[in-house]
Amino acid sequence: MWSVLVSGLATGALFAATALVYNVMFSTSKVLSITTGHLAMLGGVFGAFFITGLGLPWIVGLVGAVAVGAAFGWLTDVLAIRRVLARSDEHLWLLSTLALATMVQQAVGLWWGTEPRPFPRLIPQDFSAGITDQKFWLPIGVAIVMALGLELFYRRTMYGKLFLAMSEDAFAARARGVPTDRIRSLSYVIAGAMGALAGFAAGQLTFAYFALGLTLTLNGFIALAVGGLGSNLGALIGGAALGLLNAYSSYFVGGEFQQTISVGLLMLVLLLKPEGLLGSRSTRPV
Amino acid sequence: MKKSATLVVAGLLAVTFPIWAGDQYQLHLAALIAVFWVLIGGLNLVVGYTGQLSIGHVGLLAVSAYTFSILAGTQGLHPAIATAAAGALCGLFGLLLGLPSLRLPGFYFAMATMAVALIVGEFIMANDGLTGGGIGLAAPTFPTPFDSPAGFYYLVLALAALVTWLTWNVARRMWGRGLVAIRDQPVTAQAVGVPVFRAKLKVFVFSGVTAGVAGAVFASLQSYITPDTFVFELSLFFFVCIIIGGRGSIVGPLIGTVILTALPELVAPLAKLGNFFYGLLLLAVVLLVPEGIGRVFEVISERLRPRHIASVPVSPDLPRLARALGARR
Repeated sequence: MWSVLVSGLATGALFAATALVYNVMFSTSKVLSITTGHLAMLGGVFGAFFITGLGLPWIVGLVGAVAVGAAFGWLTDVLAIRRVLARSDEHLWLLSTLALATMVQQAVGLWWGTEPRPFPRLIPQDFSAGITDQKFWLPIGVAIVMALGLELFYRRTMYGKLFLAMSEDAFAARARGVPTDRIRSLSYVIAGAMGALAGFAAGQLTFAYFALGLTLTLNGFIALAVGGLGSNLGALIGGAALGLLNAYSSYFVGGEFQQTISVGLLMLVLLLKPEGLLGSRSTRPV
Repeated sequence: MKKSATLVVAGLLAVTFPIWAGDQYQLHLAALIAVFWVLIGGLNLVVGYTGQLSIGHVGLLAVSAYTFSILAGTQGLHPAIATAAAGALCGLFGLLLGLPSLRLPGFYFAMATMAVALIVGEFIMANDGLTGGGIGLAAPTFPTPFDSPAGFYYLVLALAALVTWLTWNVARRMWGRGLVAIRDQPVTAQAVGVPVFRAKLKVFVFSGVTAGVAGAVFASLQSYITPDTFVFELSLFFFVCIIIGGRGSIVGPLIGTVILTALPELVAPLAKLGNFFYGLLLLAVVLLVPEGIGRVFEVISERLRPRHIASVPVSPDLPRLARALGARR
């Protein structure tokens, strides 16, 4: 029973980390990018490539994977966001990020192969460790550290305050002299690094698999919508709830209906409390 | 005049295709294009006109393909009845899916439809007693006049023409204007009395029915279906056809469907790249010509033959204005 709890929390932590990445990008651009899950996929695949494929030490692999994620985050902003936001058609960013997500997934599939490949052990540990295994604790630790780090970043640093200013009102921030384009680029780089870090930490749980991105995009979004868009604490709670629900439902009902149950949770929350548990009600039609 | 001539020529080419087609495979490809168009034509009203980004229509296609195979194959019903049943079931499915999800804003709706595509895949794998699981199911062919490749081609061509005619009827009347209004300015549309949610729901149910009919003939055309047939990327393909053809047009997505279905088959290196190519194409269109490829031709033809806009100078009729002002005072 404990193993179900811990593995549920671990997958939940990965969902929560994805939801945090959504939040970082959403704060500066009001865009929910479909590439969010693919950032974690890149972290896992490139981590495995650097460590197993090239034989580098794991700390170098970590830095490399995070660098790849950050570079892809920056690329997302340059290719799919910058020009599209200038046009102010709300659907276009959905299409451009969908296109970019498809491209990166297929490119990784062609280069890396479509089979899941194992991710190396990071810390020497026996495989019979059970619930204290690193594959469970690494993603949980990383998600908590990331949430705390984001809170510190928002509260204590100038750039964090600029992020908050842009999430309140980008036009007003621009009028007060905030270089909004640069800040948005920075937020995408940070999001890319965070996503890759989450994917790297959860690599032993998910394996290095090219099609992980789309599932994670969906589940991270469900965690985000349950917890409330824009709230980091909500992302953690939503992720944990979704992960536990997934784990216990596959323990009691069987693994075939995981997506169905996740989406059922999403629909239930959207019907009862459309803004999520901790989100702010801010829709204004006119 | 010129437009209708093009239409007649295109229609004649389509009708006589079995006579001058090179081989059976080309005929199969043409039938596949027609089948896809039955689905995409209905989806076009949802995506192109109403602006609801449904990226999960492959789920509906899978539901109806399996319904058809089970009813006509395992249960031994007449294929025509099975097709009608599949269409009706998918319409109902669209209604049940649309009732909650069409109330959601853009990204939420896209995610909900994507989830449906994944869920349907899960159900197919889970209920392997009914669907054959990963092994798949054989789908029966249609009875005699339609069991040859040419006969089947005419059947799907007639279906495609019917769908085109139906969507064209919707698009050019008040309905279509209302849908475009919902896409461009939902608040304004509501303010001037377009029943936003009901219009969206009706169009979505219609697209469900066309997806159902398309799925039935798709299964019959493929003659064997497995869960691997209905991958999420197929959904993306439908979507890309519409976006590339241009939103708010019927001819554009039709051309998009024909080209995108035929291109990877005719140009071998593209088939290897597959979905990467579709992603690249989607990105290029969104960044360069968000109005669709059709817009490129318009721009080129305007460059070649600039429209002359006659300038009509307007001079104020001052004495009349003075009289009017004087009368008021």
